[in-house]
Amino acid sequence: MEEAREEFVEYYAKNMGGVLGWFKARVYTIERWLYGAHRITGILIVLFMLPHFYSTGWHPGLWGDFILGIIVTFHIANGIRLILAELGFVVGKPLLVKKPSQRPLSLEGSQRYLVALALLLFIVLAVIWAYYALIVQAATW
Amino acid sequence: MSTEAKEYTLPPEVLEETVKASEELWKPIKKVKFRIYKYNPKKDYAPHWEEYELEVSKGMTILDALLEIKGEKDHTLGMRYSCRMGLCGSCAMMINGKQMLACQTRVIEAAGDGDVIELRPLENFPVTRDLATDFTSFFEKHKAVKPWIIRDEEELDNPTGPYKQTIEEYAKYYQFTDCIKCGACLSACPTAATDYEYLGPQALAQAYRYLVDSRDNGLDERIAVVDVAHGCWRCHFAGSCSDVCPRGVDPAQGIQLLKGLIIRRKFGFKPHKPTEALPAKIAKKKEQ
Amino acid sequence: MRESTVMFLHYITAILIAVTGLIHLLANNEPTIGPLIKENPVVYMGNMAIFLAALLYHAFNGVRVILIELVPDPCWTKWISWAVVIIGIATYVVGLQVLLVALGLV
Repeated sequence: MEEAREEFVEYYAKNMGGVLGWFKARVYTIERWLYGAHRITGILIVLFMLPHFYSTGWHPGLWGDFILGIIVTFHIANGIRLILAELGFVVGKPLLVKKPSQRPLSLEGSQRYLVALALLLFIVLAVIWAYYALIVQAATW
Repeated sequence: MSTEAKEYTLPPEVLEETVKASEELWKPIKKVKFRIYKYNPKKDYAPHWEEYELEVSKGMTILDALLEIKGEKDHTLGMRYSCRMGLCGSCAMMINGKQMLACQTRVIEAAGDGDVIELRPLENFPVTRDLATDFTSFFEKHKAVKPWIIRDEEELDNPTGPYKQTIEEYAKYYQFTDCIKCGACLSACPTAATDYEYLGPQALAQAYRYLVDSRDNGLDERIAVVDVAHGCWRCHFAGSCSDVCPRGVDPAQGIQLLKGLIIRRKFGFKPHKPTEALPAKIAKKKEQ
Repeated sequence: MRESTVMFLHYITAILIAVTGLIHLLANNEPTIGPLIKENPVVYMGNMAIFLAALLYHAFNGVRVILIELVPDPCWTKWISWAVVIIGIATYVVGLQVLLVALGLV
């Protein structure tokens, strides 16, 4: 009885978000969605790598190739944004004067354009890949 | 000295307008249902939710509503508050799933079109009781980044004069001094959802605040604390901390700038030479 | 190694992967440029060696980051880092050997 209580208390009293807390993006800004997507795409690419290494040249098929390309292009486009932001380039400068309800400059300033550019790059790369994987490559199959 | 106060009254039309506006602000206009998380780790097996209905007015904040519930409906409700004006950072909680200060959020605005408000204690913090959470580890993390000016002890013990700063030097860190340690940023952080060792946005932003302070001399000392496995590199710029910050401190920006600073430090860059106390400078020149 | 060094290399390898990965794709799929790259074993092999090293570093470091966020205990953090380094180096050696055999160089 006491042991069961301890387990409950440990779970509820710690009150941690857990793995699901990584992806609780509904109420936050778009950066949180991109964070979750970056993590998931990274894991998926690693999972693809395993059979690709095990028997060299293995491919997940026509549509698998297409989906994999979309995943990789997202990881690349968002990765460029992250490298720039995490080295402190496009997050703005600290403010000296704040408005009464100041919105963060790292999310509302030049970062907005960088997010838009990253998504645009993703779409452009994804379209190029889709053309290549579904039309050019399919002809040779 | 005469103690009589001069009587002062507003002009009648202004007074009437003020009274009218005040009446409108506090007139009950809507019934809102509060779903509140109730849990006492010392007694209960698991948390449960309790519902209270309240007539709310336009000017009523969540904290006002909670105090009314505590006063009239359920006196066992546990929560923490102090200043009621967004300065102390005691009353941060999850209001409809997002971290906010209860004293700065109006019930009408939080409810929006619906009429249910869900109140939870801050996520990623251990629950003490109901809406109150345990901040011990949060304050320990803040203390771990050495949030004070690091100088020679001799100089600090026997000060010779003030340190002068230009407005540019001040502007580098002013934004981060507004932190009230409400814990909203650590609660919103996705890394902190699993990584309890992670220093957190608040502590890392404060580390940056002291690193770029022109009076500070503890660059490498503080970088050694921050540049570890569970330090600033576990931030992946999800931006939620800045999104929920009630004071516009923008911790996400501070952490990214901190990372840039650490990388530049690897290539031999130093952000500033620590300023000298002014009279000592003058005295040295006189000696020469 | 300090965490900043690890993560700085994480970014450098990310850029390397983008460049060498494109060459890898072209070499295997592009009908005109592909054979030119594949005919030259030094270029192809050098590209593959860099690509594989960068990819393994980036992937295993990413896995390590996720794991130490999942299991933040300081003791586990140390073990995870060492396990990832050993598995990564072993995979690199095996991968290089497979490549050399496939190209008929060994």
